[in-house]
Amino acid sequence: MLCIETKDLRKKYASTVAVDGVDLQIESGQVFGFLGPNGAGKSTVIKLLTTLISPSNGKISVLGIDSAKHPLEIRKKIGVVLQQPSYEPTLSAEKSLEKYGMMWNIDKKTRKKRTEELLSAFGLEEIRKKKMDDLSIGQRRRVQVAREFMHDMDLLFLDEPTVGLDPAARRKLLDFLREQVKNSGLTIFYTTHVLSEAEYLCDNIAIINNGKIMAVDSPSELKNRFGHEKTIKIHISTVSEELKSKLSTIPECQIKLEPEPTVIINSTKSEIVLMNILKILNETDTKINDLSAIPTNLEEIFLKVVGDSN
Amino acid sequence: MIQINPIIRLVNRNLTISINPGFIIWQILFPLIYIFVAGFAYTALIDSVPFGGKNLDYPAFLASGMIGFNIMNSTLISGIIIWNDRRHGMFEQIMSGPFTRTHYILSNIVTIGIIGLFSAALITAVGYPVFFDSVEFNIVTIPLIIFGSVVGAILFGSIASIISVKLRSSEGFNVIINTVFLFCAFASTAFYPVQGAPQPLATIFYLNPLSYLVDIIRAGIFGQVTDFVITEMLVLVALAAILFVIATKLLTKLDF
Ligand SMILES: Nc1ncnc2c1ncn2[C@@H]1O[C@H](COP(=O)(O)OP(=O)(O)OP(=O)(O)O)[C@@H](O)[C@H]1O
Ligand SMILES: [Mg+2]
Repeated sequence: MLCIETKDLRKKYASTVAVDGVDLQIESGQVFGFLGPNGAGKSTVIKLLTTLISPSNGKISVLGIDSAKHPLEIRKKIGVVLQQPSYEPTLSAEKSLEKYGMMWNIDKKTRKKRTEELLSAFGLEEIRKKKMDDLSIGQRRRVQVAREFMHDMDLLFLDEPTVGLDPAARRKLLDFLREQVKNSGLTIFYTTHVLSEAEYLCDNIAIINNGKIMAVDSPSELKNRFGHEKTIKIHISTVSEELKSKLSTIPECQIKLEPEPTVIINSTKSEIVLMNILKILNETDTKINDLSAIPTNLEEIFLKVVGDSN
Repeated sequence: MIQINPIIRLVNRNLTISINPGFIIWQILFPLIYIFVAGFAYTALIDSVPFGGKNLDYPAFLASGMIGFNIMNSTLISGIIIWNDRRHGMFEQIMSGPFTRTHYILSNIVTIGIIGLFSAALITAVGYPVFFDSVEFNIVTIPLIIFGSVVGAILFGSIASIISVKLRSSEGFNVIINTVFLFCAFASTAFYPVQGAPQPLATIFYLNPLSYLVDIIRAGIFGQVTDFVITEMLVLVALAAILFVIATKLLTKLDF
């Protein structure tokens, strides 16, 4: 089933077009990453999809429900962690979770159980009695994300949930999210500026810039499509003159002598180039010490896609 | 059809976040001290106050005025809730959850209604020994007190809401809301009888909705429902309705 579907979605503010004709089709049961530079329109899309604001144009269907007709029905089935902090300053961390569960009409027993589980899953036990006002920014963020799991939902929006989290807490959260998707079939709509995070977590990724979708695909497909050059390094024992002259016929490769003799391939067709070079190495009796491929990372793709569209 | 359940859940939250020791002290201790200290100290200056067909002694007059004052004060809560919700991102959070703006607005009204009634009951209980002599609780007067408390709570709650929607900075909010409420408190018939006031002040008294609220509640307590009080009830309802509509419009239009 399509979890989120938008057609020609647009949102205009007085002087800016924040979202400019976005078409999305997102299947259930996955983590969908939504990447883009500052001001690209990520948070605006989330506000549109969560029915917080209404579009200037276009259609939105979330969990099969038309957002223009039944926004409340959508909101009952989703969870939202917005980009900006949200908390009750006078409540303790524990009470915040508890009261939030109450607001979602979760019965008392379940509330108690979930509060304990979440305090532990998010490493909040030590600060459970502390007032939200007295917590650090990262601690507060953790409570904000944890709180959303007090209620059941089919779809969760997370707008940069890991901002302010330390590396351990960040990893813990990512693993927790993965677990949730695996166990409960939850769908997560996830934005972040940390691309390694998106790579670790997301099944599919959309890149948005200036309110327009630039690319949508799985991380590996994106790499195939946009990973223009792949780098392969072959560490060899010695470099003979014969090898040098033979390799000079292949323009996609270069030889480095320092710190150790290495042949570096930089090509869009690096696999084919590699075959040719292995042949030459064989012919010249050159011993291979080590061979490594440097994967294209999402960051490079992001920079390329965004750079091209600008 | 508006569902009741989400409103009750929001009211539950509102009460949890607003009731704290500071608020309770302000709500109970201050009026108590004022009724007993000021009430008896000023008796030397103000002998008795004519009200309807009765003559009230000043402590009785003051204690009954205090009820209206306390209702007004307690509605500050609604402004503070809205203002805090916006400042701390809870307004967006609630609006992206299983609630509508109507739920949010109605839950605020119910919250101030509850706090208003509670504080009215409290001061009535506390003030009872003071106005024991002249009190006339009956089938007309008790509903009148409740009516006044609820309409008054809606009226001042709307004023507090309007101010909280219009102001973003914390200083601005506090200064404006305290000025407005302090003016309402002292330029009213809550603490001082209009009969003794010079003409311009007496006019100002009746430009102030708190005077209407206080008169209605006093009429309830002392069983003096005159034609003038009935006019005041109409004015209070009309004013509360207008301000409530404005507050609702502003809240509905609030952008994210
Ligand atoms: N309420 C608003 N009024 C006017 N313009 C707005 C409003 N909200 C967003 N914008 C504009 O819309 C554009 C998209 O903003 P949005 O917050 O969606 O970006 P984003 O992709 O979430 O960026 P970031 O990574 O910084 O969070 C920006 O140019 C922003 O200035
Ligand atoms: Mg954003």
